[in-house]
Amino acid sequence: MSRLTLGRRLKIRSMVHMAAEPIPFFWPMRTFIHHNPLHGLEHLPFEQGVRQGEQLFHGRAFLPRTDYQRYHAEGKVDDATLGDDIQRFLAERDAIGELDLHGLLQTLLCRTPETVGERLDLADADDIKCAIDGETTPCGETTADIDALQERLARQFPPERPLYESIDLLFGTEIGTTLDELVIKSCLDFFDEGQSTLQMPGREHGFFTAWSALAKRNLRLFLRGLHIKKILAQDASAEGVIAYVLGELGIEESHWDGLITRELTRLHGWAGFIRWRSTASRYHWSQTYPADLIDFLAIRLVLGLALIREHARRKRLPATYPELATYLEQHTAECYLRQAYHGGTVQPEWAHRVDDALAHRHPGHINRLLPEYLHDERSAEARRQSERLLALAETAGQTEALKALDVDQIDALLTLLDEFEDGEGMMWLRAMEAVYRKSLLNEIKLLPPRKREKRPFAQALFCIDVRSERIRRQLEHVGDYQTFGIAGFFGVPVSFIGLGKGTELDLCPVQITPKNVVLEVPTGATEIETDFYSSASHVLHDVKSSVLSPYFTVEAIGLLFGFDMIGKTVAPRVYDRWRNRIEPKDASTRLLIDKLSREQADSIVRSLQRVTIVQAIGQQLGIDRDAITDSMIRELREIAMGNREGTSEFARQFALSPAAEAEFIETLRDEYRINPSFVSMQMERLGKIGFSTDEQVYFVGQALRMMGMNENFSRFVILAGHASKSDNNPYESALDCGACGGGHGLVSARVLAQMANKSEVRRRLAEQGIHIPDDTWFVPAQHNTTSDEIALHDLDLLPTSHLVYMERLRNGLRAASRLCAAERLPTLEENVDPNLDTTTAFRHIQRNTSDWTQVRPEWGLARNAAVVVGGRHLTEDMDLDGRSFLLSYDYKLDPKGRLLDTILSGPLIIGEWINLEHYFSAVDNEGFGSGSKAYHNVAGRFGVMTGNLSDIRTGLPSQTVLKDGRPYHEPLRLLVIVEAPVPHVLAAAGRVPKALSLIVNGWVNVVVADPETGHMHFFDRGDWHDLGPAPQRAKQLESIDAEESPA
Amino acid sequence: MNTLLLLLAGFFLPLFPLSMVFNWVLARFTHPVIRILVILVWPQIGVLLLLAAGAPLTGSAFLWWGLLTAAFYAWRLLTVRELGQWSAMLATSAFALTWVMAADSGRAIDLHAFVLGFAVAPALLVAVTALLESRLGAAYAGLVTGMARDMPRLAGLIAVSLLAAMALPISPGFFAMVGLLLHSELAPVVMALLTWLLWSWAGTRLLRNTVFGPRSGKNVADLQPLHAWGFAVVIVAAVLMNLIWTGA
Repeated sequence: MSRLTLGRRLKIRSMVHMAAEPIPFFWPMRTFIHHNPLHGLEHLPFEQGVRQGEQLFHGRAFLPRTDYQRYHAEGKVDDATLGDDIQRFLAERDAIGELDLHGLLQTLLCRTPETVGERLDLADADDIKCAIDGETTPCGETTADIDALQERLARQFPPERPLYESIDLLFGTEIGTTLDELVIKSCLDFFDEGQSTLQMPGREHGFFTAWSALAKRNLRLFLRGLHIKKILAQDASAEGVIAYVLGELGIEESHWDGLITRELTRLHGWAGFIRWRSTASRYHWSQTYPADLIDFLAIRLVLGLALIREHARRKRLPATYPELATYLEQHTAECYLRQAYHGGTVQPEWAHRVDDALAHRHPGHINRLLPEYLHDERSAEARRQSERLLALAETAGQTEALKALDVDQIDALLTLLDEFEDGEGMMWLRAMEAVYRKSLLNEIKLLPPRKREKRPFAQALFCIDVRSERIRRQLEHVGDYQTFGIAGFFGVPVSFIGLGKGTELDLCPVQITPKNVVLEVPTGATEIETDFYSSASHVLHDVKSSVLSPYFTVEAIGLLFGFDMIGKTVAPRVYDRWRNRIEPKDASTRLLIDKLSREQADSIVRSLQRVTIVQAIGQQLGIDRDAITDSMIRELREIAMGNREGTSEFARQFALSPAAEAEFIETLRDEYRINPSFVSMQMERLGKIGFSTDEQVYFVGQALRMMGMNENFSRFVILAGHASKSDNNPYESALDCGACGGGHGLVSARVLAQMANKSEVRRRLAEQGIHIPDDTWFVPAQHNTTSDEIALHDLDLLPTSHLVYMERLRNGLRAASRLCAAERLPTLEENVDPNLDTTTAFRHIQRNTSDWTQVRPEWGLARNAAVVVGGRHLTEDMDLDGRSFLLSYDYKLDPKGRLLDTILSGPLIIGEWINLEHYFSAVDNEGFGSGSKAYHNVAGRFGVMTGNLSDIRTGLPSQTVLKDGRPYHEPLRLLVIVEAPVPHVLAAAGRVPKALSLIVNGWVNVVVADPETGHMHFFDRGDWHDLGPAPQRAKQLESIDAEESPA
Repeated sequence: MNTLLLLLAGFFLPLFPLSMVFNWVLARFTHPVIRILVILVWPQIGVLLLLAAGAPLTGSAFLWWGLLTAAFYAWRLLTVRELGQWSAMLATSAFALTWVMAADSGRAIDLHAFVLGFAVAPALLVAVTALLESRLGAAYAGLVTGMARDMPRLAGLIAVSLLAAMALPISPGFFAMVGLLLHSELAPVVMALLTWLLWSWAGTRLLRNTVFGPRSGKNVADLQPLHAWGFAVVIVAAVLMNLIWTGA
């Protein structure tokens, strides 16, 4: 029982929830969800959000200056924008002496590699002036001002800072690291999803309960001197323990929320996973083993307190915050030197002396040392600062002007430089974005599409994913193909239960919860194979994951794994082909997409219940099926369901006493769940299966209208979902379809194709003005983004009339795949022969799907930079270099703007998440990304860690965004170009608050290409700016005029 | 055996507390060339004195004094973070093992080769110390970490020097240590192995606090490629000469 009142417990719970708000969700990696790591701060303007994110997650939100300078040298930074921003910065500030501040700041940005405006601890403008004038020692006298030092220390060790962090910084202990390790181990034990053989006992009772039961008996912790039991004895609830520990640490309640945020962000990967898990009510593992951040925090605080107390006992260190405050006050000199030494800011030349002095802990010695140290530190600061200023001024050709400044002017200059460098990341970003924006808008063709004289041979619908851009371009290039872009779930949110799977997989953007379940059922055309190979695989897996068997397995059958290893390493393609031949083939299946009637559902439930009753009779009473009749089973069911009373025929037949019969009926109700409440639950679930005809018409109609596809349908309409295939790659799902919740896009394609091929659906669509000809057939397909292969599916349903065209279709798709592979190969391999034929290039690319040593099977969504919402005519014939999401949209078919609302609330947000995940992973791969794949280990089957014990790594690995240690992904905010009249877009944005907030706060850049006025409008710094007529429009109008004039 | 000469040799093949002189001398001179010369020459004087006193030694007092000194300084290595001091203590610990060797072998060439083999790593570390001091102001473990990515060539040199300091194959120290283990009795061997273990432990800690760890982000110049090649030649030459000399 908890000693806290309910109100108090609720207060602590809400405090934890509020403190965790900035921590982004982390979804299990099986369905990797790209997301903005600063998602919790999107309500703030971008600049403010990233600044707060840097503090919370200890990451960097912009590239180092040298990287931007490299981009500048490559012409990827717009000088005019940079100049404008410098001007804007200076507009609010006074001139300083004779300095040409604009030139100085321009030089600082473009020609100075290091920061100049360092925040000075000791030196002041006077000292720097002296240093500039060539004096070697500070002008002012250096004394150890204890009061000033105490103030600095108080700022450095606020109550919101976890106590162990302060102790580590002062005494060089590693309590924080040890605590993290212990917490991670506990998390691994509890959250394991089948990777380990042994998990934490009692997990079903919840994280904190299971952990405390175990920790109380943990001898290893006790032997380390951690008296966990004593702490846990104070309260049984997680909230009570949190309150107790924070009270014991002597932290005032007004500081609790700040402290809790810092505690949670220390392992923000784990915290993000637990935060997501606690909200995922349909997630099997969270249903079975519940846990939330209150549990996580309680465990962390308990272990933290035990560790602090153990260190305090052993090394006589402060054990509470008041004790620390007293220590800082009484040993100010020592603490100043300690934080400098253990914090790594000590003057290098002094490190040894300071270390010696601290080791001896002699107050007299330390007090004597401090003034000398401060003097040296002050001199060094002044010298460093003056050297940087002089170097900057010299590069800018303003040395004399600098030397002429007085002390106040130096002070003003330092403040100005400090403020400027604080905001320079944003300037670089805007200037880089300007170059990309201008180059893209320059090529956009803002004119109505030309009318096609005849329908194309085939139409292909691809996901909006940037990887589709290349294949679409190539497909359009090789033949008479028309392509469209649509979110990869084809606008149909589906909860999918695959063949042989027991759980539902949501195939739609994570913001949507699907209402309809689609079931995969076998057709029976191919036998589901349970041959030797499958059985052997299962046996091997079981043998590998049990406790003792691995010891002898290695000796006995280790050689088999050796063959596997050699095959995968030496000849991955050949080996993969061979394995594919011996592995069981996928069964032929259909998707159950039609709604069941009440009668059908009732019949299914009854049938299942009968099977269950037969099993129960066999298991409980040992009676075979042969001995009982259908009527007996039916009667037993009716009794168990409470529809009938009295002795059953079954009881009479087998001479069961009334008590035995009653007991058996109870067993049926309780254990075998033959009861009305379970039936009602089953009926509810069955009611979710499939879509009504109305829903099917709605989804097909919406998808077609959104893309502007209401006429001129081809014989083939290919719905190409996408997926990636690679080996030994925990991030494989990150390369899959983001719009399908990180899953494969094929199921969604099959669902929509099955709907669109139904005559009833077509008839109803025709009533709505969408006439799909009888000879049009929707063919589901899968685009493998690793190899660029496009595989057609459900071909057995294809009408005979279409078979004669299949070879032409296949040829076209194959050619596009090869051209696409040839285009991508130079980005993946060095020194590719420019004359390499497409077949060889395709073979090279194919190898990546089965090469388990390949850390970068494809670049995925790296370099994404824009999303174009509009007709394909805008970007036709443009090489967008696989950097643009292309979303087909025709505003003329959307007079009320509802379809645009859907785009802004779905694909736009997915695009923004993908873009910012790449952005932050590229600018700080260690902080916001997940570091190198080479050191990754899978944790609990839901995440990866660096090494064997680390925070769950969020973000993308370095191999996805960096090349040779430098950003391959150019970090830019997503540029959203919408082809529609301005009022139409503004109205839609106004109806979608989330999209409006992203636009207004600058997390995305928006350009509206208004086809009616021919002007482009750019939203920047809270205002719309008319960029004038689209450049290509004028040229095209001229050429149209030229074509028309002879006539 | 001349005890006076042996005690005198205790200054040069350092025996605690006489070893303080050797460490003081190395601390006194900051120029790397002088320090390297001291490391190379100092123990050779000790070997000459030892030979003059009459090696092989009889009795076990000096042998165990040497072993305890070696283990003591190896243990001290665990807490020392200043690379110059670390190399001095490593040299002290390694040279003290000469007393074990001298208990078994009176051959001058063996003893000279033994101390020379053990002098290579400390000498390299002195050079590394100088390189770090010129770049960072101090050669102090933990002040700048993650050098492997910021200064790959210098980090490589540090790593090789520290691996040599741990007497790992194929460094000269490794063969000197193996030679000692093969020719000694069980009890000294155990003590020498403990010393070796402590070197490895201390070396690993030093590696962790310099070459590995999070990047410091400091903009420091790496070793010039030419200098890196120079060091590589010196290291390879030392290894080859040792292989030829010891016949390994």
